[in-house]
Amino acid sequence: MAYLTRRSLLGRSLALAATASFARPHIAKAAATTATMWWAQGFVQDEDIALRKVVSDYEKASGNKIELSIIPFAPERQKIISALTSGVVPDLFNNNPGEIIAQYGWKDRWVDVSDVVETQKDKYSKTALLAAQPYNNVTKQRSFYGVPIQGAVVPIHVWKSLVEKAGYQISDLPKTWDAFFDFFKDVQKKLRDQGMRKIYGQGFQVTANGVDPNNLFYNFLSAHGGKDIVTSDGHTHLDDPQVREAAIKTISYLTSSYKDGYVPPSAINWNDADDNNAFHAHLMVMDVDGTLSTEVAVKAEHPDQYFKEMHTQGYPLSNDGKPVTALFGVTCAMIPKGAKNVEVAKELLKYWIQPEVVGGFIQTGLGRWLPVMPDLVKDPFWQDPKDPHRPGYAKMGLIDPTMPYYYVYNPAISEIDAEHVWSVAEFDVIQRGMAPEQAVDKAFKRAATIFAKYQIA
Amino acid sequence: MMNSASAIDIGRPAIPWETRRHFWRGELKGSEYTWALAFLVPYIAVFLIFVAYPVVYGLWMGSDAGLYRQLFADPIYQNTAVNTVLYLALAVNVKMVLALLLSGFFMRPGRWTQALLMIFVLPWAIPALSAFISIHWMLNGEWGFLNNLLYTLFHIDGAYWLNDRWLALGSAIVSHIWKWLPFWMVILIAGRMAIPLDIRDTAKVDGATGVRSFVHITLPLIANLYLTCTLLSTIFTLGDFNTVYFVTGGGPANLTHVLATLGIRDAFDIAQPRLGVAAVMSALPLMIPLVLVLMRRLRTAEVQL
Repeated sequence: MAYLTRRSLLGRSLALAATASFARPHIAKAAATTATMWWAQGFVQDEDIALRKVVSDYEKASGNKIELSIIPFAPERQKIISALTSGVVPDLFNNNPGEIIAQYGWKDRWVDVSDVVETQKDKYSKTALLAAQPYNNVTKQRSFYGVPIQGAVVPIHVWKSLVEKAGYQISDLPKTWDAFFDFFKDVQKKLRDQGMRKIYGQGFQVTANGVDPNNLFYNFLSAHGGKDIVTSDGHTHLDDPQVREAAIKTISYLTSSYKDGYVPPSAINWNDADDNNAFHAHLMVMDVDGTLSTEVAVKAEHPDQYFKEMHTQGYPLSNDGKPVTALFGVTCAMIPKGAKNVEVAKELLKYWIQPEVVGGFIQTGLGRWLPVMPDLVKDPFWQDPKDPHRPGYAKMGLIDPTMPYYYVYNPAISEIDAEHVWSVAEFDVIQRGMAPEQAVDKAFKRAATIFAKYQIA
Repeated sequence: MMNSASAIDIGRPAIPWETRRHFWRGELKGSEYTWALAFLVPYIAVFLIFVAYPVVYGLWMGSDAGLYRQLFADPIYQNTAVNTVLYLALAVNVKMVLALLLSGFFMRPGRWTQALLMIFVLPWAIPALSAFISIHWMLNGEWGFLNNLLYTLFHIDGAYWLNDRWLALGSAIVSHIWKWLPFWMVILIAGRMAIPLDIRDTAKVDGATGVRSFVHITLPLIANLYLTCTLLSTIFTLGDFNTVYFVTGGGPANLTHVLATLGIRDAFDIAQPRLGVAAVMSALPLMIPLVLVLMRRLRTAEVQL
């Protein structure tokens, strides 16, 4: 019988340590089938359920493991920026904030995912493909740095019940831009005549908080002929008289509506949730706000509001009768450089963007987001005539003309938007008494300073 | 060839081994020294990882002079600097003066005072986030609680509290005071309670009561505590992100940002973390003297309350 001596104990310990060291590569290899994924929490629980289903179905199909963290929107944004700054990154996340696809694409921080997009490229809308190709200032060219998953437009939400209370029908809504929005001024007057002391016709976010005011400005700019403020080659056209004119008309319309009392006074300092709250509180008759969250938020608890009292639609024609190109925001999945399990992340994405998978994913999430593949909106889910919102929303996003957010064309726009240069111009007119022309020139000067940092050849 | 410094070294008498050993080990002998090291190493490791590294990393992130040029060129920054100074001056001083006065009130004997104190401390106890979001909604011009109350009680339309720079900044300052006043008041109550009763009694015999007692007895005895609290509160308030972010959101038109919220905006909204760090670091010229004064006060304050 062998006795355990100090020498033998030390010897055996060393042997065990050596064995463990040699065994490590095997463990590491096994861990290579696990990818880490961060994704923003949904507005409704169904969105998270849909995401978990995609991930779990992929795990079953592949045998790989995905460590999924569903994180509230604002903290996820901070985690992503911190991860990109420190270099300790997960394998996959969504573009939150949306602009990071362009800002960090500029710095060559994303893995090229062209091979993933290629598997379904013919199914994607042109806008979705454009939205995934930011400019890389290191390679001096554009490429697919994001995989489009879902999208959203900024539709018009209307309290049909209030329009009817004012003595009109939804069919009375004018078809051209200014007439359409002016209509709500008249609705306000009629409702106030009936004793509704604090009702406002127009829910314009003339604030310098969040993304809503930027969306509102750009969509109005597009309607007034200023769509080409930045073109898809990344060049800016601030010196184009047509763009300047459109910006002046936009600022004039929004600010005069506010000053004339058709917009809730507190709109000057709303955050992104405040206009939703104000709309739900029947403070205003209409709101221009991204996604169908306004409607989806009330569907479960107030089905009557969803099915009978609210109306959702796309944009009216421009004042000269042409279709208005709407901004289409795209949620992309991105793999940061430094990710340890790129292959697993790419494999998951190839699985996820199969039309039947991504289509089901968006439908399970109650359709707050739109598909980024036009064929998917032919599904009865999107064309259900009993649903007063989805068909119009789908038409606006995937049939009517759209374009990606400007920051994909040039990341300077993300800085301009974060600084709320256009909102400050509105504030200059509303609070400081500046003429719209002066306010626009001041804003264009600031925008030009920012653009100078992002020159694209 | 030997240089002059080496020649000087050669000329010096060598420090004896025992002296050097005593310098490092003090009076510790044998295993005591090993134990001392064992206890010290975790502390040093924690200090290096959680204090030294973040500070050095922050200094490194904000070390590029170009960041400050970019920061000072940002039109929002100048307003932010003014707001920060106002925020500190008003929020800290009003809060501390009120805390001082109320600490005297709550020293009064009686059950009802104690009950009132419990209620008064509540704002400090509730989570900041939900409190400030509630205040943001309460101040809404159209459907906020405050204006609805004004209309219901007096049939007057209240102001749009968050639409004007000064009203919005004032709202943030009042919210900050409301939230943090109880904390500093409790600290000052503790300071007042530490004043020996015989001093008060003697003063009372000499006819010093009320305001005279406060001016000649209480105030001198808690002056150091008050000053230390004020300095600490200034440092805390400089880093206060929640109040402004959730009450005004930095609006209207970015006019109510303070350095803490501007730093977060630059770091995460504009996705330029180094610029965000630079925004916060730009407060260092104010912070360093404060910390130095505070350290000096703490050294001299030990002889008093």
